[in-house]
Amino acid sequence: MDTTQRKNISVFRVLLYLIAITVALLWLFPIVWMIFSSLKPFGTPVAFLDRVFSPPFTLDNYFLLPQRAPIWRWTFNSVLVAGVVTAGVLVMSSLAGYALSKIKFKGSKILFVVIAAGLMVPIEAIVIPLFLTIIDLNLLNTHVSLIVPSFAAPLGVLIMKQYYDSIPNELVEAAAIDGSSYFRTWFSVCLPLSRSALAAVGIITFTNSWNNFLWPFLAAQNSRMFTLPVGLPVFQDLHVEEFTMPMTASVFASIPALLVFIFFQKQIVRGIAMSGIKG
Amino acid sequence: MKESVKRNLTAWLFLAPYLVFFIAFLAFPIFRGFGLSFFRVSLGRPGTFVGFDNYVRVLTDTQFWLSLSNTLLFVVVSTPLITAVGFTMAMFVNSKLKGTAIIRSVYFAPYVLSMAVVTGLWIFIFQPYLGLLSVLTGVEMFWLSTRWLAWIAIIITTTWWTVGFNMILCLAGLQDIPEEVYEAARIDGASRTQLLFQITLPMMRPVLTMVFMLQAIQSFKLFGQTWLMTGGGPGNHTRTIVQYIYQIGFIERNMGVSSTMSFLFFLVVLLFTFGQSKLLSFTRN
Repeated sequence: MDTTQRKNISVFRVLLYLIAITVALLWLFPIVWMIFSSLKPFGTPVAFLDRVFSPPFTLDNYFLLPQRAPIWRWTFNSVLVAGVVTAGVLVMSSLAGYALSKIKFKGSKILFVVIAAGLMVPIEAIVIPLFLTIIDLNLLNTHVSLIVPSFAAPLGVLIMKQYYDSIPNELVEAAAIDGSSYFRTWFSVCLPLSRSALAAVGIITFTNSWNNFLWPFLAAQNSRMFTLPVGLPVFQDLHVEEFTMPMTASVFASIPALLVFIFFQKQIVRGIAMSGIKG
Repeated sequence: MKESVKRNLTAWLFLAPYLVFFIAFLAFPIFRGFGLSFFRVSLGRPGTFVGFDNYVRVLTDTQFWLSLSNTLLFVVVSTPLITAVGFTMAMFVNSKLKGTAIIRSVYFAPYVLSMAVVTGLWIFIFQPYLGLLSVLTGVEMFWLSTRWLAWIAIIITTTWWTVGFNMILCLAGLQDIPEEVYEAARIDGASRTQLLFQITLPMMRPVLTMVFMLQAIQSFKLFGQTWLMTGGGPGNHTRTIVQYIYQIGFIERNMGVSSTMSFLFFLVVLLFTFGQSKLLSFTRN
């Protein structure tokens, strides 16, 4: 009885393993194929796998790329937009989250509900009025227009509020008795304690902004204002027959996000779990 | 200054920077969009009030209904699929086998790629003649220009790209189930299937409900994958509601009608989420 059960378990485990690994290989394959394709000489028919995965390999495409598309300019736009969005969201959402969590004031409950309801609004449903607002403000085709709508996203505020809720009120009260102002208590007591939540918000905001498509696609009408996700398809459309060049552009555009993923995986995972609890 | 006045003032000062953007770029556009739906507006010209004309035009437009039903089709198929695959992956990763940390990273990795990279990559896989699938199988299939094949291609691409997010949410839920519950059940002689149906699934119910809802909302917003992979074709059969809103508003420059569709789209999503939560709480009781 005991031995058959153990045998059962091991057969089951091996099967589970095999499925899990097969799926993992399938999941990884397109990315590996993309990377290898970018390393092949221009014109290689990369759909023939024996040719993709055997030498010669070269970095030529990476040097050719800037001559064929303003890829550095798009990268600069992407970095600038994602950087400013992340910094702004971190500062504003920790300030707002702190007030909602630790300061008793009239209307705080209603305000919290209103901000949380903002999560339900798909940006897709408000792009027209948003676009007209940007025109009214004379901001079309500027970096500012690519940045400011992201400042309105409620997710960061909600994550920060939830995190500050877990900090005991006594800590804040003790600081107040010592004569610390709200601002100082936030800055020197609560902010350092919330590093992990800030990391989660920062990383999620950065990757979302880096990969954002619809809004920059609408707001950046001049190719000099394109971010990488908007510029890439334009570039790919010009290269439908030749695969290695667009693959190189794709790898190039993915490097920052992949690096962030490799180094901050834990924070990303925690951030998603946190956002999910609220959502 | 009185202490309570000062406290209220401080709170609003803390909130002010965020609220400025929240109001200007989220709250105000909602109302403005609703207002626009009663006007004939094109770029650069003041609108004229047209009452419910836009609503009549949208509701009698067969293309509106086609794009809405395309979107609903995608929601109905992709939501349970991507939720179930995400849950299954979380079960794999949560089993205490060696190497699951690496497997988790691999399942999640596509999620950090951008839409343009993902669609570009899968176009090369699905393309006829020189595409990877065509070459590997030797069968010439027009994946992206045949109605149902195009949908399958879009669903495969979306699953590959986004399922890691659902996996992480499910994983967080699985890890919250105390190990003792399983041990107690095992001592009572529960089989593996019983553990799954009597313990895991019931305890995961709130998490799965949430993942399902988030996925449904996400699926409603489908735009980039179809726009970049099929352009909405063949014959508008993969055109989604968001793409139609974009085309009417930004290409035909008819922003009033486009706002009307946006508002109706918003209502559908809202009704769907409320209906779903009602339905799910009903089946629980």
